[in-house]
Amino acid sequence: MTTVAERAAAPPTTTPRGLALAGTGTLVRFALRRDRIRLPVWILTGAAMVAFQSLGSQTFYDTPQALAAYRASVGSNAATIALAGPPVGLDTVAGAVAFEISAFVILIAALMAMFTVGRHTRADEEAGRTELVRSARVGRHAPLLAAVIVAALACVALALATGLWATATGLPAAGSFMLGASIGAGGLVFTGITAVVAQVTSTARATYGIVGLLFGVFFVLRAVGDINGNLLVWTSPIGWAQAVHPFSDDRWAPLLLCAAGTVALVAVAVALLDHRDLGSGMLADRPGAPHASRGLSSPIGLALRLQRGSLIGWTVSLALLGLVYGGLAESVETLLADNEEATAFFPEITSAGLVEGYLATTFSINALLAAAYGVSSVLRARTEEAAGRADPVLATATGRATWLASHVVIALLGSFLLLAASGATTAAMRVAATGDADEFGRLFDAALTYAPAVWAVAAVAVALIGLAPRAAVAGAWAVVAYVVIVAMFARALDWPDWVDDASPIGWTPSAPIDGWTLAPAVGLGAAVLTLLAVGFVGFRQRDLTTG
Amino acid sequence: MSTAISVAGLVKTFGATRALDGLDLEVTTGEVHGFLGPNGSGKSTTIRVLLGLLRADSGAVSLLGGDPWRDAVALHRRVAYVPGDVTLWPQITGGEAIDLLGRLQGGLNRARREELLERFDLDPRKKARSYSKGNRQKVALVAALSSDAELLILDEPTSGLDPLMEAVFQDYIREARAQGRTVLLSSHILAEAEALCDQISIIRHGRTVQSGTLTELRHLTRTSITADTDRPVTGLGSLPGVYDVLSENHRVHFDVDSDHLDGAVRHLTTFGIRSLSSAPPTLEELFLRHYGDELPPEVTGGEAVPAGAPQS
Repeated sequence: MTTVAERAAAPPTTTPRGLALAGTGTLVRFALRRDRIRLPVWILTGAAMVAFQSLGSQTFYDTPQALAAYRASVGSNAATIALAGPPVGLDTVAGAVAFEISAFVILIAALMAMFTVGRHTRADEEAGRTELVRSARVGRHAPLLAAVIVAALACVALALATGLWATATGLPAAGSFMLGASIGAGGLVFTGITAVVAQVTSTARATYGIVGLLFGVFFVLRAVGDINGNLLVWTSPIGWAQAVHPFSDDRWAPLLLCAAGTVALVAVAVALLDHRDLGSGMLADRPGAPHASRGLSSPIGLALRLQRGSLIGWTVSLALLGLVYGGLAESVETLLADNEEATAFFPEITSAGLVEGYLATTFSINALLAAAYGVSSVLRARTEEAAGRADPVLATATGRATWLASHVVIALLGSFLLLAASGATTAAMRVAATGDADEFGRLFDAALTYAPAVWAVAAVAVALIGLAPRAAVAGAWAVVAYVVIVAMFARALDWPDWVDDASPIGWTPSAPIDGWTLAPAVGLGAAVLTLLAVGFVGFRQRDLTTG
Repeated sequence: MSTAISVAGLVKTFGATRALDGLDLEVTTGEVHGFLGPNGSGKSTTIRVLLGLLRADSGAVSLLGGDPWRDAVALHRRVAYVPGDVTLWPQITGGEAIDLLGRLQGGLNRARREELLERFDLDPRKKARSYSKGNRQKVALVAALSSDAELLILDEPTSGLDPLMEAVFQDYIREARAQGRTVLLSSHILAEAEALCDQISIIRHGRTVQSGTLTELRHLTRTSITADTDRPVTGLGSLPGVYDVLSENHRVHFDVDSDHLDGAVRHLTTFGIRSLSSAPPTLEELFLRHYGDELPPEVTGGEAVPAGAPQS
């Protein structure tokens, strides 16, 4: 009866356009409610990174001499430029802050935008929630546009929070808000990119994989562009965002470019949405195998099948990253030779020493990425359990330890594979550049020095699955965040030693500058074994929990 | 006759929620045992304890003579399970999932697998994400029924199946019983339980409220009678075992305990019966009496039920 009454009351003149958007406002409010914890965490994390960097840089470069020395060292270090962005505005502390931190906060903004849009579009659609929502008086475009609006609001909030915190720590207000705007603009473009990718793929996992890969590609494009100072940066939205040059040029045009790009991407996403059915991607599912292959007859076979796509993607990405890092090492030498200021300030620095320092930095970054992979791979076990897919397997003659081990083994061997792949490509590039074949073994070993530390991070996730399954996902990623933040800031901000010691990466010698030593490896090995034991015992003792 | 499943005083709590509150369940080898109860009464929790997926807080639980928590892996070679909410791996096909689960359980009968796929009309080449709820359930059913497990634990296995497939399912359950296999069938579809089950346990709020054979339980139910008579019927309400009398001129409607049917019909004949219709006792009625009101668990057939008791 209600339906009839409502239908009668609805204005008969509503245009099709309005109908396609019906319910958007309600969905926006609903999404904001669902994300009332997540979004503030992302926003505060991003703004806090800027604030930490601001405080650290102001302490570090408190004299004009210190700032000049910094400018000299950065101008000569391709690694820093590759990781950070265009070396502009370095004549002020504020400019140094923007240079050092903007790339990381743009990454935070991009991840926030990707997960927000993905969760409210493809993930909801995959779980069947969109179908329920769309069966109500909700237009075809409403869920997508609501997701885009929520992500865009979050980017604006991140921009404002960054501006406020940067100003509060003593940076010039105008530049602070331009820095915030450039970060928010980067997030905005990834809002649009995710909106398009979510229409093409048929699973949220694939959406995140492709957007993550695109971020990597865009990051490398801008890195190569920034090192060579050429137009390649304009092929990358990250390059657009950083072209704002906060605290120096304060350019508005790149912000408009980001906004226009976002609008165009969202328009493409809406057009794609109009050409597909609810629940499917742009590519139709092909029929698969009617029988399971011989490989798919054990728990490890199943885990490998579930994880192989992500393992291949990560391995290829890290191998390519290692290739780029190895190739850039030559620029480190060239830049130093060209930079008179640097040679004046650091007469003791040889190009060989600088290259070693650069390689040590890249290996530690690979280790952080490998640790992130290890955690995501271990957490696959928890995802399986929460979705109820562990139940039917554990109701067969498969023991709990065997089942958990099948995912843990892939996480440990897989993260080792990532270190090996990136180390091997970097080492091969160095051999090609120096003509010294012995370099391969030395650098390859240096890259693998981080294996026990990477395993320790992954093992924390195993322990959490055993002890606190419902908190495992958030807890394990919090550990990854801690390790990354400590690696970035502990030394620069002169944090107490225990902060660095609490991170497994901090235990590892900076190879290849420092050689491999037994003590940290043994200590980390013991920690790994203990955490694994805690995880496995806990998992065998507890109830399976779904949802 | 040996016991396949024996549960006594089973308690399971989740935080403040007492999901199972002293549940008892006895399943004899070779029988099809109906495990009935409304949503949230604790059926799935009991089954997950039986499979060693949850650990009992207290109470004695024995499955095929073993401890389902301690001996899980050894026992599971002899058990096949169909979950109530079948979730499959989105990127794996139905055929692959059937083979995988069969192999992990200890091997499956290939010829039987093909026959089941055909009878259930299931395309094994589709990826699981494109299956409907019913098709996902068929995948789990084909995997379970093509195994040689001696005990089948089925948690609402037909809730997504259409009537045609429901009939196929019933054929296979009868076949399993003929082969001497034991089946624990949780359900809230009473017609299914009436069609298949030898023994039935009804649970509510995590406790067993009734248990027995279908005949024993039917005994506790009431027959519904409508009669047209020459003269208006009087005095019916004062007869033992007669409830909810509704008279309207020459027509009378009432419910009567199966034990007192004879007396009531004798009474009617004294008013000259012109037509008589009776609705046979169903489990449904028993069920509604247990769940449609807030009677204590130790309900017996003789207790009165207010007319129009809430049914949902």
